[in-house]
Amino acid sequence: MVRGVPPAAKLLTAFLITATAIFMLVPLAVVMLSSLSASEFLVFPPRGFSLRWYGEIMASDAYLKAGWTSIKLALVVTVLAIAIGTPTAIALYRFRLPGGEALGALFLSPLVLPTLIFGIGLLVLFSSWGGGPSFTGLVIGHLVISLPYVIRTVGAVLADADPALEEAARTMGANVWQRYRYVVLPQCAAGMAAGGFFAFNISFDDAVVALFMRAPDVETLPLRIYSQLEFSPDPSVAAVSTIMILLTIFLVFLIDRLFGLKRIA
Amino acid sequence: MTGSRRTKAAIRSRREPLLLLGPGVAVLALAFFLPVFQMLVLSVQVTGADGQISFGWDHFAKFFVDDYYLGVSIRTFRLAGLITLICFLIGFPLAYVMSRVGSRLRMLLILLVVLPLMTSVVIRTFGWLVILGNGGLLSDLLEVTGVTDRATRLMHTESGIVISMVQVLVPFMTLTILGVLQRIGSDLEQAARTMGAGFWRAIIGITLPLSLPGIVSGCLIVFALSISSFITPTLVGGVRLPVLAGSIYSSVTGSFDWNFAAAQSVLLLLATLVVIVPYAMLMRRRDTKAVR
Repeated sequence: MVRGVPPAAKLLTAFLITATAIFMLVPLAVVMLSSLSASEFLVFPPRGFSLRWYGEIMASDAYLKAGWTSIKLALVVTVLAIAIGTPTAIALYRFRLPGGEALGALFLSPLVLPTLIFGIGLLVLFSSWGGGPSFTGLVIGHLVISLPYVIRTVGAVLADADPALEEAARTMGANVWQRYRYVVLPQCAAGMAAGGFFAFNISFDDAVVALFMRAPDVETLPLRIYSQLEFSPDPSVAAVSTIMILLTIFLVFLIDRLFGLKRIA
Repeated sequence: MTGSRRTKAAIRSRREPLLLLGPGVAVLALAFFLPVFQMLVLSVQVTGADGQISFGWDHFAKFFVDDYYLGVSIRTFRLAGLITLICFLIGFPLAYVMSRVGSRLRMLLILLVVLPLMTSVVIRTFGWLVILGNGGLLSDLLEVTGVTDRATRLMHTESGIVISMVQVLVPFMTLTILGVLQRIGSDLEQAARTMGAGFWRAIIGITLPLSLPGIVSGCLIVFALSISSFITPTLVGGVRLPVLAGSIYSSVTGSFDWNFAAAQSVLLLLATLVVIVPYAMLMRRRDTKAVR
């Protein structure tokens, strides 16, 4: 006869969940609360309550320009990552390729090889042949680090989809375009969307590649925040960070709706 | 007739994956492997007094004779080891609870791990700067609860780096172990308990050893990410406590010594590969097992 979970274990579980929740969320909560402070300096707990720092960033050229750069960058990266990652995933998951497994591992390698090294390499490359750090360099760097996510999400939905449908379309006389347009791409759609939101989020949040591709006219929001933290953090940094956290919550919600967060594990 | 059509189909299906792969392979080769390869070349390139370029190990020699850089490396690896251990101690029980609770609570826990994971590292570090700062939240809390009798300094300390890095990396550990725990399920643990094993004994004797592949891959990935992280240790540790990645960055931006930065990068890359190659092999074995 199996007895239930002992009370000590239940208690420990409750403690574990509470402690983890605090530990994981407190840095985000602290940033969000600091942005509401009325004082001139970054203090916690915040003194007073005001939204003035949000007004301040709306009036700040540096933040607006960085915000615009970040949004433009993330959108371009998202489109490219979907356009290049989807066919790659189809090739890897729908065809028996010689050395396909090794190739798949190579495509995922930017996830684990240090971004720092890749960032410096990209800087060296762009300094010798690309005319120095630039928006294009940033797009290329972010494309490389977000491509694995699109390949993985599209690959995951393809693994669940029925390959026989494609074969059926072929035998019913569909040509290549019809097969992709009406069968394969609809099968990939959820993975493409989820991968796209990942790509957007990665590009929008990255500070390492952005650090090396930094030029006077290409500063992104995370880098703007990084520079402020190195020198003089004030509550306006907290306000920008809060906006970025809210955007992340929104993206996580969307990815869950389209793809299911459970499948990330 | 049918014969020629068949060959046509075979040719098409051979060309099709190549066309699909083309753009991806081009990006991977030109934008990822080329820059990394360039770093390898730079690390062995030596410019002589007369401007002549030759190849040699000078930049690596510079690293290994200097106590400063050895100290930086030792700190990097020691901290990474500690961070990995703590991530495991938090990550395993968390993943275990996730794999055993009802779907609603599990969703909440996944959210708890994924939401910070998807938030920019700069912003999470910012939160820790406020919490760990002199006279910050944690220092006050420790003083009020009587754990310490005066303001604790956590900024610019190794403890500060460890605390913030654990929060940054715990999701990788938890999600990796969770993947394995979900695969093995709870049947064997239930069986052990039916046969009279206690709750804890079933976990330690059955579930823990079964999830070893997940634990090892979780530890490897956290260690690899930890030795190469840069933003959090630099902001929390400051200039007094440089890690390898921070030292590479200052060689690039401070002294503009790209060759030396490349040599350090190659050493970091080698250290990462030593950890990542077994990780990739483990993951592959796990995948093929799942297919069977």
